[in-house]
Amino acid sequence: MKDLNEMSQTDQESAVDVLKMQARGVDVFYGAGGRTGSAAGMAADLAADKNVTHAIKGVDVDIADKTVTAFIGPSGCGKSTFLRVLNRMNDTIEGCRVTGKVTLEGEDIYDPNVDPVQLRAKVGMVFQKPNPFPKSIFDNVAYGPRIHGLSSNKADLADIVERSLRRAAIWNEVKDRLDAPGTGLSGGQQQRLCIARAVATSPEVLLMDEPCSSLDPIATAQVEELIDDLRSRYSVVIVTHSMQQAARVSQKTAFFHLGNLVEFGDTDKIFTNPSDPRTESYITGRIG
Amino acid sequence: MLSILTAIVVLGGLGFFLGRQRAIASAGGDARILHSLPVYYGTNVALLTVVPAVLVLGVWLIVQPMVIAGAAIDLIPEQGVTQAGSRDLVMSDVRRLADGINTGVERGAFTAAEAASLDTATTDIRAVLADVGVALGTDVEPAILAAAQRSRQMSDTASTWMQVIVLGLAVAGLTYAWLRTNKDLRARNTVERAILGLLITASTLAILTTVGIVLSMVWESANFFQLYRWQDFFFGLEWRPSFEGGSELGLIPLLWGTIYISLIALLVAVPIGLFAAIYMAEYASRRVRSVAKPLIEVLAGIPTIVYGLFALITVGPLLRDYFAAPLGLGTSSSSVMTAGIVMGIMLIPFVSSLSDDIINAVPQSLRDGSYGLGATQSETVKQVVLPAALPGIVGAILLAASRAIGETMIVVLGAGAAARLDLNPFEAMTTVTVKIVGQLTGDTDFSSPEALVAFALGLTLFAITLCLNIFALVIVRKYREQYE
Ligand SMILES: Nc1ncnc2c1ncn2[C@@H]1O[C@H](COP(=O)(O)OP(=O)(O)OP(=O)(O)O)[C@@H](O)[C@H]1O
Ligand SMILES: [Mg+2]
Repeated sequence: MKDLNEMSQTDQESAVDVLKMQARGVDVFYGAGGRTGSAAGMAADLAADKNVTHAIKGVDVDIADKTVTAFIGPSGCGKSTFLRVLNRMNDTIEGCRVTGKVTLEGEDIYDPNVDPVQLRAKVGMVFQKPNPFPKSIFDNVAYGPRIHGLSSNKADLADIVERSLRRAAIWNEVKDRLDAPGTGLSGGQQQRLCIARAVATSPEVLLMDEPCSSLDPIATAQVEELIDDLRSRYSVVIVTHSMQQAARVSQKTAFFHLGNLVEFGDTDKIFTNPSDPRTESYITGRIG
Repeated sequence: MLSILTAIVVLGGLGFFLGRQRAIASAGGDARILHSLPVYYGTNVALLTVVPAVLVLGVWLIVQPMVIAGAAIDLIPEQGVTQAGSRDLVMSDVRRLADGINTGVERGAFTAAEAASLDTATTDIRAVLADVGVALGTDVEPAILAAAQRSRQMSDTASTWMQVIVLGLAVAGLTYAWLRTNKDLRARNTVERAILGLLITASTLAILTTVGIVLSMVWESANFFQLYRWQDFFFGLEWRPSFEGGSELGLIPLLWGTIYISLIALLVAVPIGLFAAIYMAEYASRRVRSVAKPLIEVLAGIPTIVYGLFALITVGPLLRDYFAAPLGLGTSSSSVMTAGIVMGIMLIPFVSSLSDDIINAVPQSLRDGSYGLGATQSETVKQVVLPAALPGIVGAILLAASRAIGETMIVVLGAGAAARLDLNPFEAMTTVTVKIVGQLTGDTDFSSPEALVAFALGLTLFAITLCLNIFALVIVRKYREQYE
């Protein structure tokens, strides 16, 4: 494992042997209405349309397996949008069109034969705003495992729930009130509950959209620990506004600006020796 | 009356301008120094002009006839009152005559002076008034004439006094408020309090009306229960009113009919309405939605009597010929089933549009959370959206139920008017509301238990729907708390 990481750090573009997801030439448009047609022609067509928001412009990103990738960039640059490209959550937004090619383990996830529901079980997501279901804490975490039939019996399910809550660093706070509604927790607790909920489904890739924006430093540290721990088995993609956090938890960093991927590479390199002047201005706090 | 109101309004308008002007003048023309915007000063003066005057006017208009009636009745001998039946009847004669004389003066039958000195011995008042188009029921008695004359005289004086006092009050209010207007007056706060007062009055009126309705029902029901044993009413299994006496007025068959029909209606309306709502809210594209939703809501605009006709002409015979008769369950085209189904159709838009709103109110982030965990759309709807919306949906269903219970027209035309206690859904039955109408139409004697029972029925119905509504409100409130 260590070797592979080392290798990827010295030669980022060729680390394909541990590639988990790959995006090539991805464009995202909002407000595209019900337009259909061939992807290639449409992208150009939509890009020319003034009423359409061109949120992501020709982005290429490689998500390596067992790696934490951080997306950074100023507000509104398209980080969340691109994150949703990776598990096709944009499908649920009316008028949102995605063009380009995204693969998960070599398989095109936008292929008509791919079931987005199946995909999302493999590529889990934690949202920018905590969104616990109005159910008990236990049922919130058990939701995914129940849907996907991950547990064979009750004890098994309880086990999964406990493990997930522990990993999300919230077990001690809720272990005595698993029957209480998840919506009754504090904002930070809710966010950790949502992380536990996502972890419980054992996704192969976990997408986290600013998971720590409502957490205190202690919980943040715990979530970062969790991310580090998840890395041993999954890929993690994290959107963050905290440069320190990106530097602490990630191995790869992608810097977005106005829908463009400005720079993508090893975190160490981006933070110490960025090649694009815009990246440098952003991480030193001059744009954004 | 109208002129005095107009005068008050004009004074109010005048007050508005004067007040505004004085406020601006007191600030030396610089509106920024004022405590409140100039409009508030104007409104403040206008309010003080109009409100006390109108209040006094209102009270006056209520009290004046009472006082006059009290004075006029004294002129009528005791025996005259007993002869006519009651004070109210006598007074209505007096009022009619007084009005008639006034009209006569207006139309030139006699001069004002002649009118004041009318005498039953020398003039046939009835004939004279008939000539100018005022019809009196009987010949005029001297005592009645005297009472009418006194009431005319008193109302003349009273109207003059009223005008003086009310207009005086308006002018006084205007002057007082205008004098008090200066740049430091907190006119905005005063206006704010006046608005608060208005809102409180409105809600008090709403509550008082409800209380009034309930009290009148309770009063009449109490009369009923003095004539009829309450045990026989609440537990009686027979409904057989007869105006010759010896009626059996049991609630149970009617209540059973009501519940049975409402139940069938809900069995039709709830699944269809709910599924339609789920489709509209969760699956339909915007275009389908924009067409289908108004179409469903058209159903809500159809008057219930039209539904009743539909039940009578179409659904009833259809059910009889294709279900009831072949199954050997009866040959009546009016049936519980007919009314229930048609009422269910009527309730569909009610359930669907309420549920649709409630489902739409479930935050999108919950759906995203569920999709993000790899749930399908129907799993999301079933396990996240519906549970979150459930309390609201239950509230919608209970509201629909209380409408079903109160429905009359569809029942009359669909299920008939025969009270029966039966399990067969193809049998004609009837409901509480139909019987309330039945007992009160035609010649009714409001002192007989057969008529008064309508109030007891109404009260029972009211109690049932009230409980349902309270239950619904409690549930809906609980639902609101979840997202706040
Ligand atoms: N549902 C939507 N409909 C239309 N436009 C959208 C929608 N969601 C995002 N956008 C637009 O797409 C662009 C990128 O938005 P996105 O949410 O991806 O930004 P972000 O980088 O995540 O910002 P933040 O850091 O504030 O979360 C913005 O210009 C935004 O206005
Ligand atoms: Mg975002």
